[in-house]
Amino acid sequence: MRAVVLETLGGPDAARLAEMAQPEGAHPMGIGGRLLIEVHAAGVSFPDLLRSRGEYQMRPELPFAIGAEAAGVVVEAPSDSPFAVGDRVAALTHWGAAAEFALAMPQHTLCLPDSMSFAQGAALYLNYATAWYALHRLDAQGGETVLVQGAAGGVGTAALEIACALGLRSLAIVSSDEKAAAAHKMGADEVLRSDAPWLEQARELTGGRGVQMVVDPVGGDRFVDSLRALAIGGRLAVVGFTGGAIPELKVNRLLLRNLTVCGVEMVQMDTEEPGTIQMVNDAVQALVDAGQIQPLIGSRFSLDDGAGALAALDRREAIGKVIVEVRSVV
Amino acid sequence: VSVRAAVIEELTGPDGLRVRDFPEPEGAHPRAEGKRLLVEVHAASVSFPDLLQSRGEYQISTAPPFVSGGEVAGVVIEAPADSGFAPGDRVAGMTIWGGMAERALAMPDFTVKLPDSMDFAHGAALWLNSATAWFAVERAAVKPGETVLVQGAAGGVGTAALEVLKDLGARSIAVVSSDTKEQAAREMGADEVVRSTGAWLEQVRELTGGRGVEVVLDPVGGDRFTDSLRALDVAGRLVVIGFAGGSIPVVKVNRLLLRNLTVTGIGLDPMDRRFPGTTARVSAAVVALAQRGALCPRIGARLPLEQGAEALRILDRREAVGNIVVEIRG
Repeated sequence: MRAVVLETLGGPDAARLAEMAQPEGAHPMGIGGRLLIEVHAAGVSFPDLLRSRGEYQMRPELPFAIGAEAAGVVVEAPSDSPFAVGDRVAALTHWGAAAEFALAMPQHTLCLPDSMSFAQGAALYLNYATAWYALHRLDAQGGETVLVQGAAGGVGTAALEIACALGLRSLAIVSSDEKAAAAHKMGADEVLRSDAPWLEQARELTGGRGVQMVVDPVGGDRFVDSLRALAIGGRLAVVGFTGGAIPELKVNRLLLRNLTVCGVEMVQMDTEEPGTIQMVNDAVQALVDAGQIQPLIGSRFSLDDGAGALAALDRREAIGKVIVEVRSVV
Repeated sequence: VSVRAAVIEELTGPDGLRVRDFPEPEGAHPRAEGKRLLVEVHAASVSFPDLLQSRGEYQISTAPPFVSGGEVAGVVIEAPADSGFAPGDRVAGMTIWGGMAERALAMPDFTVKLPDSMDFAHGAALWLNSATAWFAVERAAVKPGETVLVQGAAGGVGTAALEVLKDLGARSIAVVSSDTKEQAAREMGADEVVRSTGAWLEQVRELTGGRGVEVVLDPVGGDRFTDSLRALDVAGRLVVIGFAGGSIPVVKVNRLLLRNLTVTGIGLDPMDRRFPGTTARVSAAVVALAQRGALCPRIGARLPLEQGAEALRILDRREAVGNIVVEIRG
């Protein structure tokens, strides 16, 4: 089969279209047996870029195909799995999705309704599961206000859509006009610029009290202001550090204002509380089935330009998901 | 009318305290919104904020000369008609200052009726530590059967926390620094005791089947904070109560991320201003626990009023295990 293959850990330039054998057996991190997908679209994300340089701890032996998420049609499924041959599905694969066939992990695979394109399916699982779980851990209640950092990013846009579906009011923080437009499109109630006095604006927009919740996939210097943006009793979910720097928290900041900071990572949580992943899957599937999720596609690359997809991530220029179209009609 | 009182004449620490006649307080406690609740004091207790106030180092203070003493128990002499208190009631409550005197102004919102079964000396040490401990346990959402690590477990908040946890049916692991403190923690109901000077982190893991505890209650802060986070199981919660250890911990928030940890600050007063009724709920819970004998503060030292300065010096030397009570009436 054809695939975007890395034969060396040479970064984006090392990725090239090549023939490789169809995957055998089951995904090494999968639970429930061999689930093989005829891939129509692959999603490429930041871990793919790191993995191409050997900077991500979780990776297979070389050579391997890139692509952390796949959307396509099931060609082989275990008899006792909820999936059947011919089903349209969206799956987290970690790697291997930018290929004509890919192994999915049954525990991280959702059914893709006809109303959603394969390209959107390839942009679904990772961001939406993460964003939903973050809001779940924050115990978000309808009518509350959530501030979303990095709101035009993958997790950010997903958080905006899910906030909307949950009846939350959202304040999106973005860094450019283009990103502001994306945040509006994804349902942000208010859009604030990170280069403006967004903290004061957030307070004004909440009657001086501050927001009940912050979803933060960015980290970096803005973290302290995120805490300041919280109302008394407010909660902040640490989702990741796309801003690079890992914030340091002086814990007296939490004390008097009764703030809560929690880390959010559902796969680890599933080991402690089995059923967590299933709960997240069911919730995201319900939102998909109800038509409340429409992932934002940023750029599309053909299978012979997988390097271009990684390079776009490297330049941080993508707003929305970077997709590799594996079969022509996606 | 004047009363005998322990008066801070100048902000020079315990040496600035003289026991002398002082005018009986007029009007209402400045933080009681005009509600005059005058108490005939039988016992007062002093804690760390009293020592800081004697040096002008506490965030809440008044100008000298003022009467020292943050908590009292006694009998109501005058009460507002709508306060829920009447002359003759046995009460216990916070005064912030003014407690070490024959008469003191209390704050109705921070005063409770003393159960008949509890004497004034214990009553003087009841409210602040018990309310803090109960609120911390509530904010951590501790469930029966969970294991809770208590830092500074022989201190005022620590011992109250051990009692609250026992009543709730949670398992407690007390961290203490000496034989005397270990004995105090055991008396107050600790299920397990580990030494801060030993390999307590490893011991905590052993005591929890390698997993760690569900909750840490931390009134200490300082260098031990990172090990407190390490002592948590995946999805564990840590409540920041204060910094009796002096230094304010800084945490790199990636420590929270992968293990889904939650860090929460508590401060009853700001919470009540934002969510009125919080303090009343906490007070009712404390009284209910005291009434059924589940809360009985440990008294570490008893002194007569004439030795008010010595009460502060004992605090300064960190030598008392339990509350320091000053008996005003025999």
